Amino acid sequence: MSQAATTAGAAPAASVASTEQYNYAIVKKFAIAAVLWGVFGMGAGVWIASQLAWPFLNFDIAQITFGRFRPVHTTAVIFGFGGNALFATSYYVVQRTCHTRLWNDSLATFTFYGWNLALILGVISYMAGITQGREYAEFNWQIDLIILVTWVVYFLVFTMTLLRRNQPHIYVANWFFMSFILATALLHIFNNIEVPVGLFHPDSYPMFSGVQDAMRQWWYGHNAVGFFLTAAFLGMMYYFVPKQAGRPIYSYKLSIIHFWALIFLYMWVGAHHLHWTALPDWVSTLAATFSILLLLPSWGGMINGIMTLSGAWDKLRTDPIMLFLITALAFYGMSTFEGPMMSLKSVNALSHYTDWTVGHVHSGALGWVAMITFGSLYHLIPRLWNVNLFSLKLVYVHFFLATVGIVLYITAMWVAGIGQGLMLRAFDQYGNLAYTFTESVVFLHQPYVVRAIGGGLFLTGMVIMAFNIFMTVRSGIKAEARARREAIEAEARTA
Amino acid sequence: MMSFWEWIQDMGNSKTLALILFMSTFIGVVIYLFASPRRSRKFESYRYIPLDDEDSRREPTSRRDKTESDEQ
Amino acid sequence: MKHESVETNAGLLIVLTLAVISVGGLVEIVPLFYIDDTVEEVDGVRPYTPLEQRGRDLYIQEGCYACHSQMVRPFRDEMLRYGNYSLAAESQYDYPFQWGSKRTGPDLARVGGKYSNEWQVQHLIDPQSLVPESIMPGYPWLAENPLDMSDIEDRMLALRRVGVPYSLTEEEYERNVEKYGEEHARMFDINRAEESLVEQAQAENFDGNSATITEMDAMVAYLQVLGTMVDFSEYDDGHFAEFR
Repeated sequence: MSQAATTAGAAPAASVASTEQYNYAIVKKFAIAAVLWGVFGMGAGVWIASQLAWPFLNFDIAQITFGRFRPVHTTAVIFGFGGNALFATSYYVVQRTCHTRLWNDSLATFTFYGWNLALILGVISYMAGITQGREYAEFNWQIDLIILVTWVVYFLVFTMTLLRRNQPHIYVANWFFMSFILATALLHIFNNIEVPVGLFHPDSYPMFSGVQDAMRQWWYGHNAVGFFLTAAFLGMMYYFVPKQAGRPIYSYKLSIIHFWALIFLYMWVGAHHLHWTALPDWVSTLAATFSILLLLPSWGGMINGIMTLSGAWDKLRTDPIMLFLITALAFYGMSTFEGPMMSLKSVNALSHYTDWTVGHVHSGALGWVAMITFGSLYHLIPRLWNVNLFSLKLVYVHFFLATVGIVLYITAMWVAGIGQGLMLRAFDQYGNLAYTFTESVVFLHQPYVVRAIGGGLFLTGMVIMAFNIFMTVRSGIKAEARARREAIEAEARTA
Repeated sequence: MMSFWEWIQDMGNSKTLALILFMSTFIGVVIYLFASPRRSRKFESYRYIPLDDEDSRREPTSRRDKTESDEQ
Repeated sequence: MKHESVETNAGLLIVLTLAVISVGGLVEIVPLFYIDDTVEEVDGVRPYTPLEQRGRDLYIQEGCYACHSQMVRPFRDEMLRYGNYSLAAESQYDYPFQWGSKRTGPDLARVGGKYSNEWQVQHLIDPQSLVPESIMPGYPWLAENPLDMSDIEDRMLALRRVGVPYSLTEEEYERNVEKYGEEHARMFDINRAEESLVEQAQAENFDGNSATITEMDAMVAYLQVLGTMVDFSEYDDGHFAEFR
């Protein structure tokens, strides 16, 4: 296995055959799209973070006010950056671990255009004020249908590829991808049952109201985190961490246990977003209980990933890609500890509705999701184009900026969230409220500035990555053209 | 038998019931995975699948014993 | 059954995974539709009038829910700051619910009647002119854009289909008269939806501009009805505690 242990950026074994054996064209498309959506989505994030720090940035322009632009940010990073990265890696991993070519090239290409069309339409429609008003499911009903069709085709392509495999065992990464595809289908369909106002009308009204609608939305909302942003990225982890380390995963049995436990437990916890609301108490108690239990399978995954490096920790000194992957797992462990803690009703009473929640989401989203994606893309892209990475130094720079950015971000949000939570529940000596709401807003200004800076650093890292990837791909295309030209010349000479 | 039915149908017992059901499934899975050393070894051999997909694909992978060839 | 047959059989993997991920949702969501206590019966809760509903549509369109919750929790500080804690029944006609998840601004569940119409209009146009420390964006276009009323009937029909008791037939109208009184029942009649909308907007003239019915009329009409439907002075302290 010596060649598998190639350090970062070393030229992967050259092989023309692999492009025929595997469908790399589709993986390339999705990988590039992920980088572009990453730059756009994180840019949007820094923009709305700045609006909270300096509200004049709303400029009284309807299309870019915070309320309309926030879903642009969430959609672009979750479904644009994360989604495209998941398409890319799942298509890559399923081919490589099943030793077979992806089923049906044209349907695979269809998923690329379907998915990205839906995203672009989504971004435009939010800015135009067309939204369902359901967090992380703001797409209006026509776009929901495009997504549904795309997703069914994705499921077909993935399943058919599994069925055509030349390897008797289905590797664990593919289970995670499969559970993500199935759960996302279930969530998307159930959370978007709506009655349209008219066939050509963009608006619709949901099937359920009030309590039931809230429960449905947060069952969706939390499982979007659980399956889209966790299970699927664990699939990514189970392939790219062993691959980059050149060592097999720590324990396969652990992966089996934590897979089933994770997908079972996640579906119960959504109601912890609705503690102390008009939702019946028994539901939120049940959700809190399962949230605590969820710590175990989450840490099972983290331990499995990190311990893969056991005995080869020195790789962290020499390989910045490994740094990304392992730091991602560390953040995963941290935020899956923070999450169950915040789902305790007493903690939630303080943390809910404050920026602590925002900080928690971002320690997962930036620390876990984005970092594991960066690591995987840095591993993947040189292999797709069959070249060396343009610059390993820039990967270090990216890692440094991203880490400092995250630390600034979540620390600022802890201060903001806990501080505001305490201010709002403080009483003076006469038993009156000690602070007005406005006073807590004034207090938030400094944390908001720090958060915007942290986000800005993270975005800078992302832009550096985009540049690095661009240079890498360009040299790959040039090398390929040169090889082709030489082949033609050689042929002409012999002829 | 009747009292068992009554116990099951009482919603107040659902917590206990669920706990027994989920816990026994979980313990069952754990026992299944760790009880037999032979089965245990077989599962661990699957760890090598991602490392077994180098571009120069060796002939029929589906039949090969991966553990030995890769664990050098 | 051997676990091996799961890892070697894609079909079985799909079926088992589906089964395992369905349990949690089924146990927690399905009972909410059958247990009577989930939404308590409360006097005063009624559907939104056409104008209020259009205001609600705009509230969603502008993404207000990203910064404002509509759910007062049963804590002393929140009840002092916002009013009685929210009841499930109060969002019974909220399609979709707007409980929110983040309070960058204060909770709005009971904002109705707290400020005058003039204050609301001025605050929406330029929040910093009234609250200098505010970080809320201005929404001046609401006061400029005339309200689109053309699709109000279609909207009410769609809402009727999902369960809002807007009336289409004489029989349904009579039922609404009995339940909500004649004044409201007329508002809930789909056949005269546009008429009712114009009537309410002109009668109350929320935006202070009687020449046109603007989006501001609808938005302020919605904000002013929030949390005002239930008269809590009629109930004893702790009356609703049994529903918690």
